[in-house]
Amino acid sequence: MTEQEFSQFYKNNINKVFRFIYLRVDKIETAEDITSQTFLKVWQRQIPVIASDEALSAGRQEFPLISNPTAFVYQVARNQIIDFYRQKNKKPLSLEELKEKGIDLPQKSFISQIELSFEMENLKKALQRIKPAYSEVIIWHYIDDLSTKEIAQILDKNENNVRILLHRALESLKKELNKAV
Amino acid sequence: MFEKDLIEQLKQFQEIKPNKDWADWLLSNILLKSHQTVMIKPRVKLVSFSFLRQYQKALVSTALVVLFVSTFAFAQTTLPGNLLYPVKTLTQNAKIVLAPKDYKPVVRMQITKARLEDMAKITDQEQVIALMSQNIQKDLEAIPQELKNIQKKQKTLDISKQVQTEAKDLNNMIARTQLQSQDKEALEKTTQDTQAQVLALIIDTTEEINQCPGFLQDKLANLQKYFTENIQIVAQWSPDEITKIRTFLADISNDIKVGNCLEAMEKIESINQILQIHSLDIKVETSTPEN
Repeated sequence: MTEQEFSQFYKNNINKVFRFIYLRVDKIETAEDITSQTFLKVWQRQIPVIASDEALSAGRQEFPLISNPTAFVYQVARNQIIDFYRQKNKKPLSLEELKEKGIDLPQKSFISQIELSFEMENLKKALQRIKPAYSEVIIWHYIDDLSTKEIAQILDKNENNVRILLHRALESLKKELNKAV
Repeated sequence: MFEKDLIEQLKQFQEIKPNKDWADWLLSNILLKSHQTVMIKPRVKLVSFSFLRQYQKALVSTALVVLFVSTFAFAQTTLPGNLLYPVKTLTQNAKIVLAPKDYKPVVRMQITKARLEDMAKITDQEQVIALMSQNIQKDLEAIPQELKNIQKKQKTLDISKQVQTEAKDLNNMIARTQLQSQDKEALEKTTQDTQAQVLALIIDTTEEINQCPGFLQDKLANLQKYFTENIQIVAQWSPDEITKIRTFLADISNDIKVGNCLEAMEKIESINQILQIHSLDIKVETSTPEN
């Protein structure tokens, strides 16, 4: 994967991946940390994200070809979130840990702020309260506009199962919102 | 809420974006790392044990425990001169330290026998044998004192008898060792001394038990004499000590009333121990040269 290929892939997906992570965790800083780890992992794995002839002829054919790089980056993000909740006891990685993972700390501070209305904040909380499998498919399908086929690839399931999962997920979210009311 | 409204609301989340400066910084940072950190993945991977990583801590601890236990178990079969024999010695010493106070003499005697047996099995290590012999002598010398430290007379008698039984074969064992004749004699002498002291203790204790009432009277008379003669010294004791002695005397009185002669004797021994501590003080005071 060339730097150019990766940059293009990054630009196409950073917003979606960040959003997917942000809706699954509480803090924006945590979302930034997990997003960093996700893209770093993708880059370090040297996956030919764009399976171009040029890439293949450049001697990188020894790497496994990922037919759907977007699905792959979501899988990595998903695993990172699971790891975050399981191993770090719901604590974000420390600055030292990030450094160890090869991520330099920003020289200047970025003021990251996302303001959600009260209603949207409630919806985000409801998304976090339902089963992770449900919130994932809702974010992918209704927010990130992934097709059921793409979701099936991420989850390694067939499309029918994804449709059923989506239906149940939406029902579960509705119930959760009604509970809050 | 209708499904359509909900989906519309969800679509609003599409507005969420990361800080642009941060996103740009992250990309440049990742690309900077590229040449340093990238690892090329082998094309063919025969067997993957990567799943073991999540159990790393448990596996390492289990491996250490298994290693420790097997080393420990193997060490118990070694003989003097072997690299692992110190582990065996350490285990034996730990057994003595951890044994209940009253049973220490029996455990020590059993371990002394085990060490003598080990010693009898080796032939060509004179230095090791000589060193072991010295340690065995120290153990044997410690046994009579440990027996004397047992508080209850009946228990002293029982334990002393057990030690005597355990000590029966010692001489035969010593005879089988490859010790120099001088060292062998020294060890035999220590063994005989220990056996003699244990026997004397058995006789004395049996006599004390059988003639308890008479002994009790004598001991009480001695106590009375001590307190009468040293009334001024006793007056300087701390209130706690005086209270302790009074409590012991009251208990002794009760024991005598109900016929618990041995119990009363044990309490007199406890009082005697306190008196011994004070007589040491007196000795120190009287032996201190005046300035």
